Amino acid sequence: MMDALGSLSRDRIFYLFVAPFAALTILFGVWPIVLSIQVSFTASATALRPNPTYVGFANYIAVLADPIFLASLSRTLLYTVLSVFANLAFALGFAILLDSTLLKRGNLFFRLAIFLPVVTPDVAGYVVWRWLFDRSFGAINAALKMLGLPAFGGLSSVDTAMLSILIAELWHHAGFYMIIFLANLSIRDRALEEAAHIDGATTWQRWWYVILPQLRPALVINTVYALIQFLKTFTVVVVMTKGGPNDQTNFVSYYAYQLFDQARYGEATAMATILFAIVIGLSLTAYRIGDREPGK
Amino acid sequence: MNDDIRPNRLLQVVAYAVAILTSLLFLYPYWWMLVSAFRPTRAIMSAPLRPWPETLNFQIFSEIGRIGGVNLSTYAVNSLAITTLSTILGVIVTALGAYALVRRPKAPGFTLVRYGFLITIMYPYMLLVIPVYLVMFKLGLLGSYAGIILFLALGPLQFFLFEQFFRKIPNEVIEAAVIDGASEWQILTRVVLPMAMPITATVALITFLLNWAQWFPIMVISRSPDTYTLPVALLSMNSELGSNFQGIMALAVLTTLPVAALFLLAQKRVMEGMAAGAVKG
Repeated sequence: MMDALGSLSRDRIFYLFVAPFAALTILFGVWPIVLSIQVSFTASATALRPNPTYVGFANYIAVLADPIFLASLSRTLLYTVLSVFANLAFALGFAILLDSTLLKRGNLFFRLAIFLPVVTPDVAGYVVWRWLFDRSFGAINAALKMLGLPAFGGLSSVDTAMLSILIAELWHHAGFYMIIFLANLSIRDRALEEAAHIDGATTWQRWWYVILPQLRPALVINTVYALIQFLKTFTVVVVMTKGGPNDQTNFVSYYAYQLFDQARYGEATAMATILFAIVIGLSLTAYRIGDREPGK
Repeated sequence: MNDDIRPNRLLQVVAYAVAILTSLLFLYPYWWMLVSAFRPTRAIMSAPLRPWPETLNFQIFSEIGRIGGVNLSTYAVNSLAITTLSTILGVIVTALGAYALVRRPKAPGFTLVRYGFLITIMYPYMLLVIPVYLVMFKLGLLGSYAGIILFLALGPLQFFLFEQFFRKIPNEVIEAAVIDGASEWQILTRVVLPMAMPITATVALITFLLNWAQWFPIMVISRSPDTYTLPVALLSMNSELGSNFQGIMALAVLTTLPVAALFLLAQKRVMEGMAAGAVKG
């Protein structure tokens, strides 16, 4: 009896510990998400009233028939694929370089240089990049001109706007993926490499068959993080392009935000739900594929 | 064959060239921002690549003394206050929450809290902020510091770092305290907290850096620029037409400098903490 009482009160204090965390999660996480999904089933004009008109899947149908949304979605997916690939390739390459025996001095400096942008407020970083790309102020075109190279269209040209924000985002994010690769590289089993070396494996073979398979955890984590990161691309668009030129950088989250600004709440939240489903679906898929043991 | 162990000279030169060039390219935006903050807009237009300012003139920082009808010092104080308070609150709430979820994973309702949190961090952040506006309105927190600080308190990295740490505490340590007759409160304050000091410092540091950079929730929850922080002020200055280029760069410097300095002082802790928090996720 005493024991049961004791364990009950022992449990009770954990509810006290978790209460503030649960309250904040519910108030600013679960509730807004539920609210958002609820609004996606109502007519925009009545969405914020106490008794909104429910319209079933009408908003979803309207969104999926909206050519701007479909174009925006395919651009978002294209941008995500390019960004995930570019960021992980850069981060892995630089991590391998830093981990190798080639760079004995200056290792910390290189690491800090690539990581500093991660903790730099993104608005400040993108503001600077916006002006770096500028045709009349920008250092980039001035440098290209000095080197006798053709001008770079930057943010004002339809052909280069997406590339420009990809570069700015890589600058901001790649350091994060790099340190995860570095952490993984530092805990790998070096005895395996020595064994491979003794067996006469070439540098390339050692990398491909011995080291890379051991980097699987970092690759999976980075892929999932990068997918979530770039599917949600928003700040860089707000700061640098406002979706332009000619909708070239009008990604789903920015488009949804614009609709929300125009009080088209139903469609905006329907888009949010669709993007949410894509984020969850893709991350789970990446996680599943990555978790599977090779050969299974 | 030999170059597997002792890399040859040429390869080393190439490696250094690549590393140095990439690092300088990554650092160049900072240098350009800093130099541009000290150069009149017209001078930058005529020579954007000049590597140092014509004169070292701090005039611009008094010229941007008022932005959008609010004193620059207000934005700076807001940044400091909102970031500090949301960090303290976030660390306490997250540590206690993660601790409870780790110690009693099967207590009724705890799984729900966990899933609620995981779903929240998967939801596209900027699209979550919009319904948060409605919630803030319903709670009467719109335009208040409290609303902003409460919203910024929770973050995924912080939670995972604490969760990972608490999981690693050996069960025997807790069991021993239980057998000695310690209450859960005593176990927390006398056994767990002293062990958790380093991780708490790491989480506090990372939370500070992340929350300093926040802008969208602050902009959405605010009713006027009175509660804006430096990044939000910078964004609204950047969006103005016929913008004051030198002023923008000066404000970007002010926004970046404090966190860049903090990071450089504690770089090891920050980088290790961020990697650890992510690997758990």
